[in-house]
Amino acid sequence: MDDILRAIFYTIIFPGLIFTCVFGLFFCWVDRKIAARIQSRIGPPWYQCYADVLKLMGKTMIIPRGSRKAGFLLAPLLGLAGITLVSTIIWRVNINQEVSFVGDLIVVLYLLILPSLALIMGGSSSRNPFGVIGASREMKMILAYELPFLIAIITVILKVKSILLGEIITFQSIQGVLVGNPSCVIAFIVCLPCIQAKLTYIPFDIPEAETEIIGGTLAEYSGVSLAIFKLTNAMMLFILPFFLISLFFGGINFNIKGILIVLVEYLAILLLIILIKTTHPRLRIDQAIKFFWWLVTPLAVVGMILALIGE
Amino acid sequence: MNLILLIPIILPITIGFICLIVPWQRIREVFTFIGMLLTTAVALKILLLNELRLQIEWITLSSAQINFDLISYHFSAFILLACSFFGLLITIYSLKQMKGKYHLKEYYIYLLWTVGIANGSILSNNLVILLIFWSIMPVLLYLLIDISGSGSGKAALKSIIIVGGSDFLMLLGVVIIWHLKGTITMNEIIIPIEDGLSTAAFILLTIGAVAKAGAMPFHSWIPDAAEVAHVPVMAFLPAALDKLLGIYLLVRIALDLFIMDYSMKVLLMSIGAVTIIAAVMMALVQKDLRKLLSYHAVSQVGYMVLGIGTGTLIGIAGGLFHMLNNVIYKCCLFLCCGAVEHRIKTTNLERLGGLARTMPVTFITCVIAALSISGIPPLNGFVSKWMVYQGIIDVGGSIWPIFLIAAMFGSALTLASFVKVLHSVFLGEMPKEIMEPKEVEFSMKVPLVILALFCVFFGIFAQFPLKYFIGPVLEVRFSGIGEAINLNGMWSPTLATTLLAFSLVCGIIFYRLGNIKALKEGDIFVGGEPIDCEELRISGIHFYDTIESTGFLKYLYKKAKARAFDPYEWGKTISFSLYSGLSKIHRGILPIYILWIIIGFAVLLFILMK
Repeated sequence: MDDILRAIFYTIIFPGLIFTCVFGLFFCWVDRKIAARIQSRIGPPWYQCYADVLKLMGKTMIIPRGSRKAGFLLAPLLGLAGITLVSTIIWRVNINQEVSFVGDLIVVLYLLILPSLALIMGGSSSRNPFGVIGASREMKMILAYELPFLIAIITVILKVKSILLGEIITFQSIQGVLVGNPSCVIAFIVCLPCIQAKLTYIPFDIPEAETEIIGGTLAEYSGVSLAIFKLTNAMMLFILPFFLISLFFGGINFNIKGILIVLVEYLAILLLIILIKTTHPRLRIDQAIKFFWWLVTPLAVVGMILALIGE
Repeated sequence: MNLILLIPIILPITIGFICLIVPWQRIREVFTFIGMLLTTAVALKILLLNELRLQIEWITLSSAQINFDLISYHFSAFILLACSFFGLLITIYSLKQMKGKYHLKEYYIYLLWTVGIANGSILSNNLVILLIFWSIMPVLLYLLIDISGSGSGKAALKSIIIVGGSDFLMLLGVVIIWHLKGTITMNEIIIPIEDGLSTAAFILLTIGAVAKAGAMPFHSWIPDAAEVAHVPVMAFLPAALDKLLGIYLLVRIALDLFIMDYSMKVLLMSIGAVTIIAAVMMALVQKDLRKLLSYHAVSQVGYMVLGIGTGTLIGIAGGLFHMLNNVIYKCCLFLCCGAVEHRIKTTNLERLGGLARTMPVTFITCVIAALSISGIPPLNGFVSKWMVYQGIIDVGGSIWPIFLIAAMFGSALTLASFVKVLHSVFLGEMPKEIMEPKEVEFSMKVPLVILALFCVFFGIFAQFPLKYFIGPVLEVRFSGIGEAINLNGMWSPTLATTLLAFSLVCGIIFYRLGNIKALKEGDIFVGGEPIDCEELRISGIHFYDTIESTGFLKYLYKKAKARAFDPYEWGKTISFSLYSGLSKIHRGILPIYILWIIIGFAVLLFILMK
């Protein structure tokens, strides 16, 4: 019973839902601010993202007539639940490497699909043709980036010879960070466009594409349900780079120096994502698939072969 | 004498014969139902008893004995129960679904016989007895496919040629084993694979097992049969029974009869990996629900073969668990397909849509089964797939990453094709010609709901089937199974589900915190244009056209659609070309025959005179 209570605390307060929400929305602001500065705008004040979510929660929610209501309303929750669990697993392992369970890396990979699946279900039940197109694009994007992402993560597994997140982090605290190896540099480079696509950021915002299919899967969402989707995305913005830090930069050490280092690493990855986002136009879906399958995947395979021969 | 072992074989067969002479359809259905129920009950009884054996002397040869030898131990008893139980479910389902169908009279009789014969092959402890039962199965399969009306003959023929042909290869394997060990009693054989003969025996027997399960390259009869056969037949044979039997035999071969070496493991794992990817890629672009599901029936075998091929404890356990899970959700999916067909009279994805509103039970069970097969946590498919992955990593060496990529990416592709199914059948817009269909009858809902509940239960409480079914099976070969299987310190499905549920509750609290009371309905927003949703219906069938036409996949798909990768077609081409020369000579035209006779006579004369 005690265990379950503790697990619930971890999931809901720290490092799960509430913690990730607060920091996610903060980094969402960082993202918007930096993007604005790059485009010579002033950008929003620090509380803007919190205010957005709060405002959305107060708005009237409009459900499209004739849509599959239960699916339409439950879809956002699915994504939120998935990303909460991911965040809990990754942070818990960083805090205490002993709590890692066999195959948690695989569990994280699977749970990371849930937010995308939520978008697909939502778009598909919304009855809006743009929503349907968005859903089909989202699924194709999953297929596109999942392959190189998997190979990049297998490169890490090959290097560490373990699929426990805890052991991957411990390995790096003893042997030095993984990104020091050529194979893992490649894997890390491969992961960057993949998380860009997971976040549906430009140039991979094809499923949403505001100027083309008016937000795609999100077109019919409003009020609280839209707020939950926004929140999920903010949480992903916080947790995905941190996932990469755990895999390639040895995770976090809980002292002032360690936290500062992670913060710098995190901001560097964030900056890269934002730079890609602000300097590229959106790709078409077929271009994105070709980019991931025929360009990023071979690169990832090179990285994996390097890891196999011990580089 | 443990005569109870004979009951699951003889009882359904006898009732089948009784049904043959009963003239009333209603009575026949009742008899079938009672027969299946009794068989299930007896199978349960056998599972609860300890190891049983029944030996009746039959033929004694100088080199070996062929006894009528039945054995039930933990593993076979469980498979026995599963077979009988699925027979029962299919019978309940068929009562309404099959109503008014062609050749209904024979259908139930064949169903009963299939269960009896399948039970026989599960229980037999002698390879020859196994082979006898095993080779009656394709005949019944042929009959069950063949009764489904016009155009089914070809598919039925294909199935019997492929499955029956593989049985013949199995016979060769049995002969080699006989030669090697001098015995064909299964629990007395352990052959280490070291020379050519034992390798040949292993491969031949494996072909029999994987052909029954439907792995590549022996899969091609399944999609063909799916197009024509009755849906319950598909749900019963390729989706459930064939998997149970094929994988049961494969585990017996890989675990009990032989000791696999590394190359055999790699062979099995390669079959598995290729099956997963190739079949699911085909499933992705299907436009008919039956065909799509049938390709998944092939693809999922890949995970089982891959898991068993790893030869590691957790891999084999995962493969077995996946077999169990697969029969549950795949049977459920086929039955959902049958429910849709029962109401709408078509399985063409383009002509379906929006059924979620009017057929909620079918929809929810289908969602559960679809998410299970895609391996979404916390459902059962996730647990077994994850165990297979773990097994692959445990193999070591340098080749495992390829298998892991195939397995994990295959899972994403599976999800993709079920997104297409759920959208096109249940979520999208309803086509105009469908007139608000009603939910299916109660007796059809029962099997759907039971199977969906099993999906959820085996996912959340995965420790139960692992502990009570899979653990004891593997205890024979692996010691220390207890701690490895009981998932301690691993992914705990129950806890994870609790946490997922709590996160969901948090989401609901979010909804409550928000302005949920001001909920209203509005029109769909399409950039301000007023649109007619029915006109602008987007069916799911074009979801993956982009993938179909990208790079060399375009070429592969084109070839695959022309059946260029079907060994059956190769065999057909080769054998036709072989006798095309002969058939030119044999036209039945008398002068030509006379010409041949004269030529022959001349040659003969020439030789004699020389």
